[in-house]
Amino acid sequence: MEEKNLELIIKEIWPRLKKKHLYPEIPVPKVRRTSHPKEGEAEEDEGVGLEMKQKQMTIHAGFVSQMKDKMEEKRVVEALLDHGVTHYTFCPWDFHTHLRLYSEAKKVVGDKELAKQVSNRFIDVIADTHCVKKRCTEIPELHRNLEKGTIEEVIASLYQKIWGIDLGISASKKSVKGHADIVRRLARIPYLDRSRWGESIRKFARSLKPLLVEEQKQQGGKESRGEHNPQGEHDLNRYSNEEIDQGLRDYARQTLDLSEFKDVLEDFSDELTGAGYGREGGMGRGHGNPLDADVLFYMKLAENYSIPVKKVPLEKKGSLHPYSHSPWEIGSPFQEVDIWTSFGKIMPGITQVWTKREGKGRGKIEGTPDSLIAIDSSGSMINPRKSLSYAVLGAACAANAYLQNGSKVAVYNFSDAPMGGKEILNYTDRREDIYRVLCKYFGGGTALDLEDLMPLIQGRKNLDLFIITDMKITNLEALIGFFSQIQNRMTTVHIGDNPYAARFEKAVEGQKNISIYTVKRKEDIPHIVLGRIKDYFNSTSRK
Amino acid sequence: MKSSLPPKKNSNLSPDKENWKAKNPFEEFKTLATPALNLPMDQIVQSSEAIMDRIRWGYEKLLEEEAKELVWMVQYNTIIKAYEVAEKYVKEIDYTAEDVEDFCFAMENTQRIPYLIPGPAGIYISALCNYAKEEEILLKLSELKTEINLIGFRLPRGKRLRIEGDTGDFTGIGLEGGDLVVEGNAKNWTGAGMRGGKILIKKNIGLHTGEWMMGGEIYVGGRVRGLGNIVEGKVYERDKLVYPGKARYPNLYY
Repeated sequence: MEEKNLELIIKEIWPRLKKKHLYPEIPVPKVRRTSHPKEGEAEEDEGVGLEMKQKQMTIHAGFVSQMKDKMEEKRVVEALLDHGVTHYTFCPWDFHTHLRLYSEAKKVVGDKELAKQVSNRFIDVIADTHCVKKRCTEIPELHRNLEKGTIEEVIASLYQKIWGIDLGISASKKSVKGHADIVRRLARIPYLDRSRWGESIRKFARSLKPLLVEEQKQQGGKESRGEHNPQGEHDLNRYSNEEIDQGLRDYARQTLDLSEFKDVLEDFSDELTGAGYGREGGMGRGHGNPLDADVLFYMKLAENYSIPVKKVPLEKKGSLHPYSHSPWEIGSPFQEVDIWTSFGKIMPGITQVWTKREGKGRGKIEGTPDSLIAIDSSGSMINPRKSLSYAVLGAACAANAYLQNGSKVAVYNFSDAPMGGKEILNYTDRREDIYRVLCKYFGGGTALDLEDLMPLIQGRKNLDLFIITDMKITNLEALIGFFSQIQNRMTTVHIGDNPYAARFEKAVEGQKNISIYTVKRKEDIPHIVLGRIKDYFNSTSRK
Repeated sequence: MKSSLPPKKNSNLSPDKENWKAKNPFEEFKTLATPALNLPMDQIVQSSEAIMDRIRWGYEKLLEEEAKELVWMVQYNTIIKAYEVAEKYVKEIDYTAEDVEDFCFAMENTQRIPYLIPGPAGIYISALCNYAKEEEILLKLSELKTEINLIGFRLPRGKRLRIEGDTGDFTGIGLEGGDLVVEGNAKNWTGAGMRGGKILIKKNIGLHTGEWMMGGEIYVGGRVRGLGNIVEGKVYERDKLVYPGKARYPNLYY
């Protein structure tokens, strides 16, 4: 009965609420029944009014019913939804911002749990303040009626000061009086200035830290009150997997600091594992291995760069030709649409596409060959698990480029290969495996064992070679000799300038199948064109 | 009579099209624009920004006058002169202890304050503390990457300055009866030339501690790396009196 009533309330206020928040793309909120725990057991989400999973907001009927005596149900629901919607429309907005705020808070408080509490409270203050300033909301009334601990009283006292609305917190109250300096410090923060959120959360954390530490001591490891936030928890459940992917990508690009990325990722490892990270599959999700923060860092960072691969004519038994029609579906490519039988319309049910079949003749079509990536992980290279390695980033971008074109990649990671300092991965399209071998660091001398390379090259007419090294290779002459014998397209990337690289460049300058690039900064990586051959013209582009 | 109105264009448009043309497609959204409230927060943030600008301006003037080439040597007369200039600008500003803390952090932000020269910066912060309205000042500087030199210079009687974090060289020099507490470490020349008052360093302290001090007390919670030539006053290391007392060679690491 209670739930039905709440559903009716939501049905009534939701259109107005959406309009008020300028029509965010959020589904109609749901209502969660009151669970009746067994005797002696505490209710799981006691005191929580709102739950946010991906974009679905759920109102807890139990909370609304608790508040019924103090505040009209409709007003409670509106206040909770105003708060929830503002998290999507203003702060934190996306997962990247959430991570950034958390990492700034962690720098100040040092502790994972405290940092989560600080960032959650900061996000709430911003959301509520934004609502109070920009929208007509019941949030102040909700705060007036919520039960409060010491920190909540300090925050309510802050609201009184910065909103200029009486929330029933008396300045003479002992708990508030003793923390007047904290409220004064908190009140000076420009909460609504997005560009200053980084420095603002540091100041927020600095001011609130003594109270949080005190609360943590009092709780003695038990769940703090902050973990039952009436306005909803701020865990990763709020974000979709795509948002998490994008957030990690942006965070890796912006920090460029492996240790910071690892630190934050480890703090969220439980939630990320829950979201499917650290397992095999696309975008770092699927089943299998434990979460490897280093691998994920390079994976996400490499996704920010796109390196083009020049296609080559690949020999096939026959070319494809239109064979029969099939209905077009939304999301299918337009290139295959038969405009004559579709009457010039793009509409499911009317539009038809050609289904192609391979013919019997022999011909040449363009395609991307498989690739062998050789990466130097000797002592003169940066350890990719300690700091950002451009070699691994470059190799990762190259691997991505081939995989995205449906090709397979083999990896030869070498240091002092004849002495066993090597790891070989055969041709595969499993991204995680490739990244794991790329991130391996031996840190010894530098020598290639050509015997290792032969089985990977032999019998593959169409194969691209990609080698990334600082060229300080002891058997460089042997390598130059080997390269002069093979006709495969070769992309050679050397990290930084040195006499060995100059020697290599001079030795292979006459070979048209070898392209050489220098990477000194991360910005150099997109300039690499894989498999580019000097004076390259293929049969199809000659038309 | 000629009409002053310009002739209607496209008068042969169909009524539907005319309506469509005349109607602003965003008209409906006008009703959604709720005027943003003026919250006290705006006023608070605005006024703290204005004060910060004044404090920053004073610091820039100090640099202009005392560190023209962006070079500043720590010498008795340069310190005295820089402090006089700092006093002149600080006296004109109405600020609080929180503004002083914000200024310390703003100094690390090169976009806001391009030149951080540790000597004048420390003298300027000391002047700000000495002329602040509050008797007790707390500066939470533990995440500050730079250790501020000369902090607590000439701290007068009746003032208590507590610093969370570490401080640099010349902490609390020329103390004039104030009470200086550093929750972390302090570097060399702490309390040099102090005349009275109390310095409490909760962790360790560097060399030349109390050089030429004329009075007052220095308490160190950790180790004293070396004492200076002390004229008068007391130095305690972990509650034990180390000066006057068992003679120690100045600046000897023990």
